[in-house]
Formats: sequence, structure tokens, C-alpha cells
Amino acid sequence: MRLILYIGRRLLFIVPQLLGIVLVGFLLVKSIPGDPAVLMLGPTATPDAIASLHTKLGLDRSLPVQFWIYIRNLAHGDLGTSWQTTRPVLEDLVQRFPATLELVSLGLVLAVLIGVPLGLASAFNESSWLARIANFYGLGAGSLPDFWLALVLIFIFYTTLQWVPAPLGRIDLSLVPPPPVTGMLTVDSLLAGDWSAFRSAVGHLILPALTLGLINAGPILKMTQSSMEKMLQSDFSRYEVLCGMPHRLVVRHALRNALPSIVTIISVLYGFLIGGAVLVEIVFSWGGAGQYAVQGVLNSDLYPVLGFVLFSAIFSLFVYLVVDLIYFAIDPRISH
Amino acid sequence: MNAVDAALMVERLRVEFPVLGGKPKVAVRDLDLSILPGEILGLVGESGAGKTTLARAILNLPPPPGRIVAGVIQFDGKDLLRLSERELQSIRVRNISMVVPNPRGELNPLVPVGEQLASIARVHLGKDKSSARAMALEMLRAVQIPDPERRMRAYPHELSGGMAQRVVIAIALMCSPRFIISDDATSGLDVTVQAQILELLSHLARKQGSAMLFITRDIGITAHFCDRVAVIYRGEIMEIAPRESFFLSPRHPYTMLLLAAFLHNPQLRQAWTHPDASLRVNPDAGIGCAYTYRCPRAREMCHTIRPPLAERTSGHFVRCHFPLERE
Amino acid sequence: MPKVLNFLKLAVRIAQVRPRFLLGYVIVLVAIMAGLLAPFLSPYSPIAADSSHFLQAPSKTHWFGTDAVGMDIFTRTIYAPRIDLTIAITGTLLSALVGSFIGALVGYFSTGRGIRVHLSYAVMRAADVLQAFPVFVFAIALVASFGQSIQTVVLAIAFVNAPIYLRLMRAQVMAIREMRYVEASLVAGLSDFQTILRHIIPNAMTPVLAQLSINVGWAILLTAGLSFIGAGVRAPTPEWGSMIAMGFQNVATGQWWPSVFPGLALAGTVFGFSLVGLSIEVFADPIKRRALVRDLEIARRSREVAALSGAEGALSAGDAP
Repeated sequence: MRLILYIGRRLLFIVPQLLGIVLVGFLLVKSIPGDPAVLMLGPTATPDAIASLHTKLGLDRSLPVQFWIYIRNLAHGDLGTSWQTTRPVLEDLVQRFPATLELVSLGLVLAVLIGVPLGLASAFNESSWLARIANFYGLGAGSLPDFWLALVLIFIFYTTLQWVPAPLGRIDLSLVPPPPVTGMLTVDSLLAGDWSAFRSAVGHLILPALTLGLINAGPILKMTQSSMEKMLQSDFSRYEVLCGMPHRLVVRHALRNALPSIVTIISVLYGFLIGGAVLVEIVFSWGGAGQYAVQGVLNSDLYPVLGFVLFSAIFSLFVYLVVDLIYFAIDPRISH
Repeated sequence: MNAVDAALMVERLRVEFPVLGGKPKVAVRDLDLSILPGEILGLVGESGAGKTTLARAILNLPPPPGRIVAGVIQFDGKDLLRLSERELQSIRVRNISMVVPNPRGELNPLVPVGEQLASIARVHLGKDKSSARAMALEMLRAVQIPDPERRMRAYPHELSGGMAQRVVIAIALMCSPRFIISDDATSGLDVTVQAQILELLSHLARKQGSAMLFITRDIGITAHFCDRVAVIYRGEIMEIAPRESFFLSPRHPYTMLLLAAFLHNPQLRQAWTHPDASLRVNPDAGIGCAYTYRCPRAREMCHTIRPPLAERTSGHFVRCHFPLERE
Repeated sequence: MPKVLNFLKLAVRIAQVRPRFLLGYVIVLVAIMAGLLAPFLSPYSPIAADSSHFLQAPSKTHWFGTDAVGMDIFTRTIYAPRIDLTIAITGTLLSALVGSFIGALVGYFSTGRGIRVHLSYAVMRAADVLQAFPVFVFAIALVASFGQSIQTVVLAIAFVNAPIYLRLMRAQVMAIREMRYVEASLVAGLSDFQTILRHIIPNAMTPVLAQLSINVGWAILLTAGLSFIGAGVRAPTPEWGSMIAMGFQNVATGQWWPSVFPGLALAGTVFGFSLVGLSIEVFADPIKRRALVRDLEIARRSREVAALSGAEGALSAGDAP
């Protein structure tokens, strides 16, 4: 019962938070130079056509009114139209968001698989060679520019070794993509039983996911390591040693206590990467949501940017809510 | 007293704490101490005297970044400081256990207390899950925790200070160890709860026939149930004597100061305080008597020669060049 | 003079026990020096295109090779710190100053009387909203709004990072505010403002300092990222990100050097700043300092033992008939 109240209260807070985000985004986007009407109609547009589009879009009204119009449309599921794709932003995002989600999710899974074991290993035995490598990796990975690492990986695995297909999009251009259910090609091709599509999707997914994985393993490793160290040096760990508890038990308990921090950083990275994977998306022509938003900014196409900001904010807030629920489950102190 | 008779014997123990850019700070200096089987030895000292350092050093776990640099700790025919970690693991809490202060900070916050108790029984006594649980329940009853079945599932932060302290005592006594170290077991508790805890602890220790090193800042407590009392100052034992002899004829100036403070006797206290003790910086040189700079009776000899811990009357040792003479 | 000597001795000892700190400071120094001394380190101009020598592999005349328009990559790589470091350091310092200042105020006034409390709360919620923004999109949007120039990139970095310092400072101030000497200062008659300036801020600085160096590293990456997609520093100004972008097409056809070398320099420099940040963290945090002190002590003891056995050896040799 308490749980339902908690979730309810959080959801209630989400609405004003989202409004705030949309407001800031709106102001930001409006300060980008470029007349949307002109861009939509193209260079051959007449002044009359432009003026009437202005009226239709509400661009001749004051800013607060424009904001109100946008919110009102939002409530009806209308996120505006992109002049570049000439399609509704909602449609564009529904197509692109799963692509980013697929990429980021797999990237994070790889990052956890690399980062957590290395972090644990280096926390156990600080002077071992594995610990040194882990330390170096933890610092170094965060120093690598993601777009550069992507290029290096492309050079090694595509140009030189020819192990992966060309870095152009999410699936082989000659193949027919599976019917969209979730929007994620790997999942959809599995659901449709289409093996060649699946293999192609995975082949295209590996390199960009590996790029994200290798880089984001760094912060995860560091957090695992520092959190485990902190727990192992804490009073209760030392007390367990004092009570003659065997090493593996002390470590297991320390890990349980360190989990909240590790889960936190994973969730923060998850929210961050939705927009933060942009450069990798661009290098691999992934067609993801972040790329869509960046193109929007660079071409003064404003609605895609706002739509993306909204999507990404909702996603982050949702992730944070799930994480807090996980904390509820792990840590008995929080229920107070 | 030799190693055969004593339950635990500390010889020439020296624990140092490194200091950035200088000489290390000596927390425990060439300390000798022996405790007989079944005996309760009280150890009194102010904050920073080295009590906790000594307590944890006995288990070869000096508080970091402290390091044990010399000494021997004889227990059960072995030197605890030369044992491997694995051997030490089987001794800790099983043969030598410790009651820690601030129990809610020391218990694992994510594990119910019943489980923490039961795991001791499983690891050290080889019990299976259900008998370990039963034993844990029994221990909670023995330390007089009300409603023990419910408390088994409680988390440390849900318990009051007094109850958490009882849990820690339960952990320390569970395996009926031969030697118990009680480090400031009643700090931070209400006075009434303090009395209960002390009663409980001494009763259970005597019942099990365990020897105990009872560490405290409060000299008055030791009068109740300690067989012998020792005073520690800056890592050195200043006086040690059987209880009667200690309280009836204390000989060290520092002991007099502690007693004066305890008795809330301002004139006595003033008599035993150095006139500008608060202003004097005590250089940690290890030369001469450590108490010199606070001692109202100090003479030139005290600055240069460290007094040995000498026996004055039967069993009553003092580390002072000019101790009080009685009778 | 002896103080300086002791400091140097301590620095050498620390470097022996923690070589990675030394590595960090050396890298940062090299990067700064490269930027400053670039004209003396290379005969080529960083922006002169030479179309007869394009895409040449690394050789004795062109250590890092040349790019698609014939510019020497080594030259451009060592000129780039001028832009990258300047932008990153300026932006970070700006964000730290503004963020810390606001954070200190917010922390100090977060409880108490009247409108200040509500303002503090409002500022925190505003910071929440700002931080919920996807960082990269936010930075690009700022650059797009204010026009593409070095100054706007600096501003974008400042904007994006300010909330970090705001939160850091706020947390520190809220903790310190409860401490005795603050009470004493207020009782002695100092105003809130004076108290903040003289007592709270100096003590709250340590985590901020630790964060600064690491932040500079991130700022360099952000600058490079922005330039990579053409929203930061414009070609032909030498900047690592834009250099990587210019070499982008060539990687797939096998000419790796226009993109790889700037990337290595970029990664290396950021790494150096991370190490420096790590060292500051250790110096500032008493718990971490203890581990360092313990290692220094162990090293000192082994030196003493070695000296002793050396002396004994000398003695016995001298005693031999």
C-alpha cells in the first residue's frame, strides 16, 4: 500500500518536472535563429504563403501563447512536424527512439559485463596486476572520445579484418526489415523468425554497441571499485572480520551494500546515453533519436529537438523511478 | 606470571601510526599485560590513551593506518601476531571475542540481526541452518532482549542503542570464548541501561568462566566487578593492581587524578593537576615518563629516564619514580 | 628556502610511491608546453594547405603524415592545445565560479527564514531541470542560438557544467554550516555574506578543486565532440575534434593517420587531466591521504633498513684486517 502511495506521489511530481523541461527546451529552441515557415516551404515560397503558414503555426503570436499552443497540441499527441522529413515528429521519434534504445541497452549491458567484474577484481586485491589494469582502464576509458574510438574500431574490424559489415545503418540495405513490433530490429527479427535479418541486425549492432560498452565500462568499473573498497573498509566489514568471518562472506556482504551505488551509476548512464550516444549514432549512420535531434538543431528544425528532449526526459524520469523502487527492495532503511 | 598460567599474555607490544612527513606516532608503547583464566581485568584510560588500539591489536586488527611493529601475544601456546589470516579467523569470536562500542554502526545494516547471529553459529560452530537459528534465538533470550522472535528479523537501525549493544554481546558470547575483550561497551547509553548491560556482561562472563579485558573511560565502573584494575596513559600501563589494593591505596599520580575526577572532588582534583597542564604540549618523544608534563610531582629525573613498571606490594605495580607511599 | 626543499623532497617521494600522479602532471605539462611552444617545434604552418602532398603516410618529413588537403598533421596536433585547452579551462573555471557561488548561497539559505528558503528551493528545482537536459543537445542548441564561435563554445561548457558545482558546493555548505566556527562567526557579528566568504567557502573548496581537473578533461571531450559534428570550432583552425572529422572518410579507405593521431593526443591529454584530478582527490580527502601516508611510511622504512645494512656492510668491511 505504501508502495502505491509512493509511486503515485512520484508520478504526480513528474508532470510539473516535465513541464519545466519542456519550457526550458521551448525557450532554448526558440532562440535558435531560423524561420520555420521559410524552411518548411523552401526557397521558392512567396511572402503570402509564408505569412499564412506563420498564422497557421501560430508563429505570429507572442511567446507565452506559442508555448500554450504547443502544450495544448502535446496533450493531443501532436508534437509538431519536422520540415526535414515532412512527417509528424511523433512518428519520426517512434521510429527512431527504439533504435537508440536498442543500441544504448546493448552498450550498457556490455559495459556492465566489462566494468563490474574488473571493478570487483581490483577491489579484492589492490596490488594484483589485474587491479592495476583495471585502474588504468577505469581512468583511460573515460578519456577516450567516443566518436574516435568508433573510427578506430571501424578501421580495425571493418577496414582491416573485414569481420563486420560496413558501418552504414542498422541492417543490410538489400534485406527487407522485419515487421515493426517494438521497433528494435534484433527483437523484431527474432519475433518474425527471420534469421538473416537477425544476423544482419546483430552484425551492424556490434561495433557501435562495443564502442559505447568499452567507454562506459570505465565509470561503472570505477564506481564498483570505489564502492566495494568503501564497503570493505567500513565499520561493519571490519566488524565481520573481527568476528572471524571468512573472506568470501565479508566480500559478499560488502557487495550487497555496494549495489545501490552501482545501480545508481548504471541508471544515470542509461538516462545520459539516450542523448549521449549521438556521436556514435552519427558515425555509424544509425538513424537514432539523438542524431535526429542534433540534425534538428543544426538545421533549425525545432519540433524534433523539443520532441526528443521530451522523450529523453520521460525516459530518464522513468528509469530513476524504477531505480528508486529497486532501492526499496534492497535497502530496508529506506522504507522509513 | 608466565605464559602457561595466563589466559592471554601481551609482551612488549608496540603499535605505531604513520604521520605524513614526520616520525610515526606511537599508540601503544612496549606494553606488557597478562590476564589469568576466568579473571576480569579492568583497563581505564582517557580518550586517545590507546585502549581501542590495544584491544584490536590483540586480534591482530589494529585500526588503520596503525601497524603492529613489535611484540608477542601469547594465547593457547601460540603467538597471535605470527599466525596466518586463516588461523586467526578460526580464533576470532570463537576463542577471543570483542564487544564493540557503537553497535548500530558496526552491525551490517542490510542483514537482520538474527541472521548475523546465526551466521556466527554456522561458520564457527558448524551448525546447520535450523540449529543455528535456534541458537541465535537462545542467545537473544540470554541477553534479555524482549520479544526475541520478532527481534530476530529486525534490522540494526530498528533497534535502540541498548538492544543493539545486547546483540553485540550475544555475538561475543555465543561461542563461549575463553577470552572476551569489552571495549567501551556502554558508551552512549543511558545510565540505567548502562547498569543493566554491565550486570549482564559480567554475569554471563563469569558463568562461562571466560577471562575478560574490560576497557572503559570510567574508573568507577571497574570497582564493581573487576578482579584487577589497570590504568593506561598514552600507550603505557601506569598502574595495575588487585581491586582492593588499587582503590584503597592508589600510587600513581594519574590514578589519583582519575579518582579525584570520579569522586567529583574539586580540591583533590586540583591537588593532582599540574598548574598549567592545559597549556603544555607533550612532545611524543618516548624519552622519560610519559606523564611528566601533566604531573604535579614531576622532577628532573622524570624527564629523562622512563620508569619501569615496578612491583611495590604484592601484585601492585606502578610505573613512577616517585609513587605515593602508603602505610 | 628549506621549506621549498622539503616540499620538493616530499614531491619526489610521492612520485615514487604513486607514479601515476607524476604521469598525469607530466602529460598536462607536455600538452600546455606543446601549445605554447608549437611554432618552435615545427617548421610547417598549421593552416597552410599543400595540395601536392595530401594524404601522405607518416614519414621523416611528416611525422604524423598529411591530411586530405595536405596540412601537416603533427603540426596541427601540437597547435590544437591552444584552442582545446583554452576553451576547456576557461569554460570549466567559469562554470566552477558561477556554480560554486550560487551553490554556496543556495546551501547557506536553504533553511531559515522567509523568502530566501523558497528561492533556494526554486533554484534547486531549476538546476534539476537543467540537468535533465541531454547534455550534448543542450550544448549544440546553445552554440546554435548564440552563433558559432570560440566564445559560445566556452559559454556552452560553462552552462552545462555549472549545475555540478552548484550541487557540490551546496552539499558542502550545508554540512559546514552546522559547524561550530560558523556559529561563532555569526555570534561575533559577521553578516551572513561575510561568514560565507571568509569561513564557509575556504573549507568547502576541497571537493570543488578535485572536480576541476576532471571537468577540464570532459570539457575537452565536449569541445572536440562539438567540433566533430561542425558545431564547435570551425576548420581550418587546428582542433582535435575537427581534425578527426576531417579524416573521417579516409579511415574506411585505409588512411588512418589523419584521425588516429589527433585522437591519441586528445585521449592522452584528457587522461592526464584525469590523473591530476585523481591526485588532488587523494590530497584533499583525509581518508585517501592515509593510504598514501602509509605507503610513504613503508617506503621510508625500507630506505632506512637499506641504509642501515649498507652502513653495517661498510663497517664490517672496514674492520676486516
